[in-house]
Amino acid sequence: MKKVVGIESLLAWRRQRAEAEAPPAPSGAHLLKLVQPWWEMWPDRFAASVRRLAAVQLSYGYAMAHPPHGHSGHPVAALISREQDGDQEAPARILYVSVRDGRLRLRFQLAPIPRSDRVYDVTFISETGLRPILSASADLSGEDEYRLDVELPSDLAAAWQSLKVTDPMPFRFILRPADSN
Amino acid sequence: MEFVWFWTFWHWSTEGFRSGSLLRSPLQGISSHWDEWYQHEASGTERSAIDALGFSVFEQRRFLCWLTRQWAKDARWRGELLPARYVLAQLSRVRPFETWTAFEKYRTTYGSPGIAAIVLDEDSTGKSEDVRRVEAVALPLDEDAASAAIVSDGFHTDAGELSTARRAALSLLNGKGLIVFLTLWLLMGARPYPRYLRVLLFAGWLLVISLIVRLLTGQDPGAGLITLAAFLFTLWSALVIVAIGVASSLAINAWRTGRALRNRVERRQLRFRMTDGLSVHGGSAGLALCLNSLLAAQRSHPLLANRSWLWERFFRGLRGASRTWAATGIVDADGSVEHVVLEPKIRACVDNPAITDVLTPWQPDAKQSEVQKVVTSGRRAAPARSNPGMVLGFASTKRKLRSHRCRHAAQSLMTIGDFTSRPQLAANALGLVVTVVMALALPDIRNVLLPPAAPRIVGPGSPSPYYLWVSLDTDRPDAFTAELESSFWSNRRADVFAYGGADASVRAELRLSRNGRPGTIDEQDGTVWIQRRRKFLGREFESGERVASYPFAHVTRLPHE
Repeated sequence: MKKVVGIESLLAWRRQRAEAEAPPAPSGAHLLKLVQPWWEMWPDRFAASVRRLAAVQLSYGYAMAHPPHGHSGHPVAALISREQDGDQEAPARILYVSVRDGRLRLRFQLAPIPRSDRVYDVTFISETGLRPILSASADLSGEDEYRLDVELPSDLAAAWQSLKVTDPMPFRFILRPADSN
Repeated sequence: MEFVWFWTFWHWSTEGFRSGSLLRSPLQGISSHWDEWYQHEASGTERSAIDALGFSVFEQRRFLCWLTRQWAKDARWRGELLPARYVLAQLSRVRPFETWTAFEKYRTTYGSPGIAAIVLDEDSTGKSEDVRRVEAVALPLDEDAASAAIVSDGFHTDAGELSTARRAALSLLNGKGLIVFLTLWLLMGARPYPRYLRVLLFAGWLLVISLIVRLLTGQDPGAGLITLAAFLFTLWSALVIVAIGVASSLAINAWRTGRALRNRVERRQLRFRMTDGLSVHGGSAGLALCLNSLLAAQRSHPLLANRSWLWERFFRGLRGASRTWAATGIVDADGSVEHVVLEPKIRACVDNPAITDVLTPWQPDAKQSEVQKVVTSGRRAAPARSNPGMVLGFASTKRKLRSHRCRHAAQSLMTIGDFTSRPQLAANALGLVVTVVMALALPDIRNVLLPPAAPRIVGPGSPSPYYLWVSLDTDRPDAFTAELESSFWSNRRADVFAYGGADASVRAELRLSRNGRPGTIDEQDGTVWIQRRRKFLGREFESGERVASYPFAHVTRLPHE
């Protein structure tokens, strides 16, 4: 015996079943927590990293016969923060910096480290106040360079507009391998 | 204009560097700059044009040709031509070129072959693969403080080893190493004489020798002595002037050119490339790295080395040797080559059919006979093919590996440039011996050709009645003799010497003894003659002209004080 079922009732049946199997919708508090930056989620860990980063005194020592002239960059203090291995200092060389149309384009190279990752979450820590000012994702580009492209807040865009790669950088880095988030 | 997008990229890169948005120079950072430009700066049209090239291998090759023949000549950086092959090697690693077939060969080479290094694999006893191709290029050094003067590409090694090899190369270009090289070359190095001139010069030296022998053992030439001495002196002088003039001008030229090359290397970054991703332990690749540094210096400005015959010849040899020579040895900063473990390395060279010559430290197991033993044992140990009914027929020539031992890297320059010349060494030895003999004979030749003015007899006289002192006011005592002719006293002749002490003077001392049959009773009778002395080395010729005469009485009355 053939039972005739209308298409509307079939769709209604399917919707009811999907609703019954679907996970509950996340709460507003949970969504807020997901967009929270990591330094607010783990303030103790961030404070420890900043303390260590602040202790890094980084500059080139010129032991050469003739001082360099013109195009010489300044190293940027960077800390690679891994959950398992702890923090590791690895000074970064800024290879390219461009602030245009409110976006920062940056390429940097880390000092040789035993293990490098393909993607880092980069937290910019202000050089003066040691506060987090920006966060972006940096991808490995080429063999040993990382590149990031991020929209800047208007105040930073204005302040960094004339930044040159040869200037001392107004920030330090905390790098977190992307898979550790 | 073709490939205008590459010019757009180059302009973006140079302007980015000048404006301070890029740290590394357009040449040093070309792969990184390209990656940034292609992925984030190029317009859609430009990217489409680039990607369209990638679909056709023919178009890819056309782009490569344009890059090497056109762009590299036009797009100068700091007034210098760009090393096209290095640029290709860098670009071959980034998108989209990393997938282009035409870039395939540049992914593993700079296209600048050099002397191979012998780096043994772990547990290797010497295999063909242990002979590693080494390439080196010298790029303009960036001013960035973190920019290294030496970079290893494709392998890892202690930075100190690379630095030592670079310092040894600098020393060879203009330093102690070059002094050692020039000394070796002066002693036994070939000269740039045409064949006829070489024969002529050798004949000249033989003629000088025959003239010396003639003067020492032949008949007294009498009045012809002046002609002979003049000819001998002129010929010898001409030969010495030619030898010293040619050698010194070449050496000075080599020094100046070496200094220019050294300055170039000091302002450049040396990049060494060795494939296989080895982590090299030990410094036995030092000699190969040192020689390849020299090659990189020359390739950075090929015309510079052509100013010097010595450097031009050496670099010609080095370029020719770059595919068939290998080197092993630890070099220090001054260029001294120290011992290494050799046998497996020789075996590796024997196993590699491309290698015909190997530069080694000066150690016993590097002798040609020892190397030949390894060659022979290698042939015997070669596995025989077991194919029933077939017999191997060896129609190939006998494998020969030439070993060149060096105590100093400068000796490797001599070897590679093929400077060592046994005939020149023999000619130099001959010339040196002849010159020493001539130097000893020069005062005598001078007395013959440029006789001093006739001297006067001066005090002091002899304090003893048994001696006659003939003191002369001359500073060339060996040019004169004094002779006494008397009817009362025995005739005597004495050479003039410079005496020291309380009675210092230039004088001849004649012992006075009465004539057995005196022709007079006047003991003041007699004449003292001053004659020119003619001699050549130890041989005395007949006395020359008499230049002065004094009465015996005058000479005896000279006061002693």
